[in-house]
Amino acid sequence: MKALILVGGFGTRLRPLTLSFPKPLVDFANKPMILHQIEALKEVGVTEVVLAINYQPEIMLNFLKDFEDKLGITITCSQETEPLGTAGPLALARDKLVDGSGEPFFVLNSDIISEYPFSELIKFHKSHGGEATIMVTKVDEPSKYGVVVMEEATGMVERFVEKPKIFVGNKINAGIYLLNPSVLDRIELKPTSIEKEIFPRIAADEKLYAMILPGFWMDVGQPRDYITGLRLYLGSLRKKSADKLAAGAHVVGNVLVHESAKIGEGCLIGPDVAIGPGCTVEDGVRLSRCTVMRGVRIKKHACISNSIIGWHSTVGQWARIENMTILGEDVHIRDEVYTNGGVVLPHKEIKSSILKPEIVM
Amino acid sequence: MAGSEQRVVAVILVGGPTKGTRFRPLSLNVPKPLFPIAGQPMVHHPISACRRIPNLVQIYLVGFYEEREFALYVSSISNELRLPVRYLREDKPRGSAGGLYSFRDYIMEDSPSHIVLLNCDVCSSFPLPDMLEAHKKYGGMGTLLVNKVSAESANQFGELVADPETNELLHYTEKPETFVSDLINCGVYIFTPNIFNAIEDVLQQKKDRANLRRISSFEALHSATKALPADYVRLDQDILSPLAGKKELYTYQTLDFWEQIKTPGMSLRCSGLYLSQFRHASPHLLASGDGKRSATIIGDVYIHPSAKVHPTAKIGPNVSISANARIGAGARLIHCIILDDVEIMENAVVIHSIVGWKSTIGKWSRVQGEGDHNAKLGITILGEAVDVEDEVVVVNSIVLPNKTLNVSVQEEIIL
Repeated sequence: MKALILVGGFGTRLRPLTLSFPKPLVDFANKPMILHQIEALKEVGVTEVVLAINYQPEIMLNFLKDFEDKLGITITCSQETEPLGTAGPLALARDKLVDGSGEPFFVLNSDIISEYPFSELIKFHKSHGGEATIMVTKVDEPSKYGVVVMEEATGMVERFVEKPKIFVGNKINAGIYLLNPSVLDRIELKPTSIEKEIFPRIAADEKLYAMILPGFWMDVGQPRDYITGLRLYLGSLRKKSADKLAAGAHVVGNVLVHESAKIGEGCLIGPDVAIGPGCTVEDGVRLSRCTVMRGVRIKKHACISNSIIGWHSTVGQWARIENMTILGEDVHIRDEVYTNGGVVLPHKEIKSSILKPEIVM
Repeated sequence: MAGSEQRVVAVILVGGPTKGTRFRPLSLNVPKPLFPIAGQPMVHHPISACRRIPNLVQIYLVGFYEEREFALYVSSISNELRLPVRYLREDKPRGSAGGLYSFRDYIMEDSPSHIVLLNCDVCSSFPLPDMLEAHKKYGGMGTLLVNKVSAESANQFGELVADPETNELLHYTEKPETFVSDLINCGVYIFTPNIFNAIEDVLQQKKDRANLRRISSFEALHSATKALPADYVRLDQDILSPLAGKKELYTYQTLDFWEQIKTPGMSLRCSGLYLSQFRHASPHLLASGDGKRSATIIGDVYIHPSAKVHPTAKIGPNVSISANARIGAGARLIHCIILDDVEIMENAVVIHSIVGWKSTIGKWSRVQGEGDHNAKLGITILGEAVDVEDEVVVVNSIVLPNKTLNVSVQEEIIL
């Protein structure tokens, strides 16, 4: 089986992190986001992954080369020279996706974090005999999204309602699809939206089915949702493989600590914290609801909550970092400095407190 | 030189509970003159300065607080200095000169040759012995300590003009609307006993004027409600202004630090000034440590002997920690005053703040001010018995006594 991951452009919503790495390579729970998807695809027998990308394909391919061998999976890029929307890239990668076997292929939105229940998806797809399956997820406020109206018993999609003013349903497109190769015949090589143009047409032919996504779902394309996504991901990990989570007197709730990270004495870590490879967390540090990326050093007595600490940054002694502070790569927070919602671009040194949320260029 | 006729009596004006409202919420618990600055009651600093005057025989504290508020302090400081220190309570407001005059019998009891008069909320190195020598040389009735300030800030004070050659006071005006001079009155004076004659003259003039006024009932009708009592004599307007340029008053300029302690923010700044003065004057009062057996100390820090500070804490610069305070492991204190019985828990941070008596600061919590001593919320002030719970952040705020903070606050006054 094959899969196409819609990577897209600059990932501006996840800046300043995406100023250093393309969005799929930004770490989420100690692993580049895209690896979560590639590993799950590999699990269900996918042998080739095509990345639909329009920005920095070399960096992506370079990085993923190691993983091709490690996972035994082929990863290629399909580069758009002009933006093709969410359907156009499928037409562009047509030759890579079609191999004559007639097998359906996956299409994933790269910002989505979930338990990726692909085997259930395959089973469901084969059972209904339609042309395409989309996964849907329940949301609290459907009026913010495009709602999928479906027949409850069979899952057959009746119609799509974009940002409904009155309640028509609470299930939205989760950005995970399984499509028969015939779907490609419906897509031209031009900017096209798969959600707004292609799916409604398939639905009109009564060949589109929706499966409710079991477990959690989060679009982690922006910092606040990234932090929420980590909470959901770690909660799910607790149920599925609790042994991967840290344990001990210094741990509260769900905490992921890379085996190469060092934690000092008298710390209190958690809940919902990920500490990446090669990190040093010194004595008396408090971490909650935060991501600490590869190579970061947190000095003694610092306190971090609801924040993301980018690669190779340092946080000084008695510093306080909170309220959606996002430190880009290689940012250095001096001792005793307080940042309340500071968004700091890469390679900066912060010498005085940031009392109100602001962007430091 | 130090003949028996050379005796000095010092009078320190301490004000009263209706004064010093700008010092709230800290003055809600303790008379402002007893608020600790650099670990010592505010009034202690002028008292120790007076102690350095040769032939000082007596110190009077004059104010309108109740006697019992000063009883304990006055008795302990008298013992400590082996010098009589006495609190005199004014029965009603009489102005700075009027108050001094009403206690003239006490002050003159020891037949002093000189009277030192100063305000207790002045923060200075008080160069009193040198000033006294200068005063004797000038040969006038009084000498004022003066200080040069920026032209923009001068109008908050008494502005004056002095003769550059003789240092005679030529002109004096209190808080003028337009710029007169960048030399200001520091609120520290040395007088000969003739000052009482000068005050008496003013009182007599006022009495005469009051009698005259009775004739003109029209004027009395209009001014009676506003007029000050006839025995109310201000030192600045009623004595210094009229006597300027009459070869009675002289000036002595301090080149060292000088501030007024009107607000909590200024008390923190002045605490730092006095701590740095300790570096030269009383280094034994300052703490030291390198983090091995006792806490790491940076710059000038005072720690009361009964306070317990964990060796992994880092303290300073400009920190004073009062009696029975407990500073936990990994705590960090910078530019702050920690009052009696405060508990600071593990890894907490306190910067540019005053933490009131019996308050507790939770683990990994942070109490911080921006450090602007003149701004209303430039430093964070916690009143008595305020509890800041674990991991809570308090920035640029004032918290009145007996409050618990379980969520973070910024730029707020919490009643």
